[in-house]
Amino acid sequence: MTASAMAASATTAAPAAPMLEVENLEQRFPLRSGIIDRLTFEGGRPRLVDSVVHAVNGVSFSIAKGEVLALVGESGCGKSTVAKSIARIYTPSGGRIRIDGEDVGAYGHRAMLPVRAKMQMIFQDPFASLNPRQKVRDIVAEPLLEQLERRGEARAKAKAREAAVALLERVGLNAEHAGRYPHQFSGGQRQRIGIARALSVNPGLIIADEPVSALDVSIQAQILNLMMDLRDEFGLAYLFISHDLSVVNHIADRIGVMYLGFLVETAPRDRLFSAPRHPYTRALLSAAPTIDPADRAVEIELEGEVPSALALPSGCCFRTRCPFAYDRCAAERPTLQDVGGGQSVACHLIDEPERDRP
Amino acid sequence: MDHQTAPAPLLDVRDLRTWFHTFSGTVKAVDGVSFTLAPGEVMGLVGESGGGKSVVGFSLLGLIDPPGRIEGGEILLDGEDIARASEERLRRIRGREIAMIFQDPMTSLNPVQTVGAQMDEMLRLHTDLDEAARKARCIAMLESVGISRAAERLKAYPHQFSGGMRQRVVIAIALLAAPRLIVADEPTTALDVTIQSQILRLMRRRIAQTGAAMILVTHDLAVVSEMVDKIVVLYCGKVVETGPAREVIADPSHPYTRGLVDSIPNPRDRKPRLAQIPGAVPDIRNLPSGCSFRPRCPRAQAKCAEVAPALAPTRGTLSAACHFPIVEEIAMTGGERA
Repeated sequence: MTASAMAASATTAAPAAPMLEVENLEQRFPLRSGIIDRLTFEGGRPRLVDSVVHAVNGVSFSIAKGEVLALVGESGCGKSTVAKSIARIYTPSGGRIRIDGEDVGAYGHRAMLPVRAKMQMIFQDPFASLNPRQKVRDIVAEPLLEQLERRGEARAKAKAREAAVALLERVGLNAEHAGRYPHQFSGGQRQRIGIARALSVNPGLIIADEPVSALDVSIQAQILNLMMDLRDEFGLAYLFISHDLSVVNHIADRIGVMYLGFLVETAPRDRLFSAPRHPYTRALLSAAPTIDPADRAVEIELEGEVPSALALPSGCCFRTRCPFAYDRCAAERPTLQDVGGGQSVACHLIDEPERDRP
Repeated sequence: MDHQTAPAPLLDVRDLRTWFHTFSGTVKAVDGVSFTLAPGEVMGLVGESGGGKSVVGFSLLGLIDPPGRIEGGEILLDGEDIARASEERLRRIRGREIAMIFQDPMTSLNPVQTVGAQMDEMLRLHTDLDEAARKARCIAMLESVGISRAAERLKAYPHQFSGGMRQRVVIAIALLAAPRLIVADEPTTALDVTIQSQILRLMRRRIAQTGAAMILVTHDLAVVSEMVDKIVVLYCGKVVETGPAREVIADPSHPYTRGLVDSIPNPRDRKPRLAQIPGAVPDIRNLPSGCSFRPRCPRAQAKCAEVAPALAPTRGTLSAACHFPIVEEIAMTGGERA
């Protein structure tokens, strides 16, 4: 069975142990921390206000083994924050994160170490994500070395370095490259190094945060092909964060659309592109430029810009820009509802389809 | 646009060479680029990073700083060679004749001046209007780019605007003195897709209204295909292909353009693997002999290493710099070259 067939059956049959399960993830960041900053006066009386960025608001999804889930949305929608919360670069403010069945949401740094053998991350910027003072061999070997030392294996360093060279070859570099430093490589090659590093511990899940956004289009294709080959070879699951719909359309089995920290729609790829239900998804798809004029749908023009995550709108997050918004949207926050075919939508129009006309 | 009956060009760039003399060698960022632009025409200058597209844009405005220099060639704006114009003359040209829209609206506006002051400067330098008339013009221009409460917003500073709004301000400033040519360097690359589509729509509409010509410098073929009349593709400082936008994108004749178009995932024709151009852009200080694209090219033969190809008509309305252009109208598939 191919990985995509595996993923397809996994999504429909609700697998017993998904690789990743996220439930009601919340991530808030306090903006002002000092007492002086928080001090305001209301009617002559001092008051301390908390100013909090609501970056991720109750996001739930799961990824089966071998599945590629893409999170899309515009800047500030919280997609990268979701990735970093799961990778436990941030400590989540609320909710559960289960990796291979194990709830890691409250784990500290030390407790996370064994989990990192199951989950690795690939970063957007291939220049900033590699230590310029480390040789490529050591960069790639480091996660594995950490794991081997934790297990107290003998000859850990030699083993990790050996594995690193093999991995470099697997991602299209060669053994000679192992002794070089990151600045000697192009952007595409550096991203290959980042991928080799992530693969070194043989993880089941890779979180890729805009892995091809910084690359030229011809190099982007090389990296996407490599990522898909590796998925088939190692049965990897990806959480793939991207703003580029054409890339997502190419690589994902399932897609989640985020807006202002909320997951507003999730569906299998073909369904999302052929029958998007949420007004934001529809606007997003119609706004994307395309090289094929036949693909050009009638554009749903969105006015205005995304509201601030400091002060979320009441009710639906999208209502301030939604052409269909009505009184209920301000009063009541829609939740994700299953509309069949693996698609879920957080929109009141699902209950009142007759309003779904401009 | 019919090439035979095209009006006298507004801009005629001939054999432009902009080189940078660095300690590690001469970077021939632009090396013999020629193209023409008719009044009101919209042209896309495309290619990957290092292709030289931004340097062409900067050269047009005389914005090349040492160690860079325009080594040769002509930039004829209505017949006047501005490649050799004095700095004083260039100051009159910039903004008045040729305006530029930069990629990053964060850094192209002055953070310590109000938007109004920055707009006013453009009119003070390039028109004889009095203060009241200038202010009225600024307000009208801001409104025309979709900024509401314009009179009030003139007093605001750039940081008080969002990214999309800032780019609207930059566009307003560029259009203020009614230039005949606008050079837009990746104007929407820093913006989100729904904002990008707002800005592209705005640019298309406003530029059509003013009748200005535009050069859109971008790496994004999808943006280009929606905006421009003709395309010039650059690779390692040279023009590799040029022609009407639709033809270049639908069926390019240069293997590099073909590779670029094919490596964009196409939802209508999804393949298990994307077509990829092997290798990477060579170091521009140390280009291969003959054709620069030769080491990555699936069609390269012995001749390509010996003679650099010149731009010549290939098929229909297309011209390419290639010894073995794709003359048959077939789409290469990804698997062949993977």
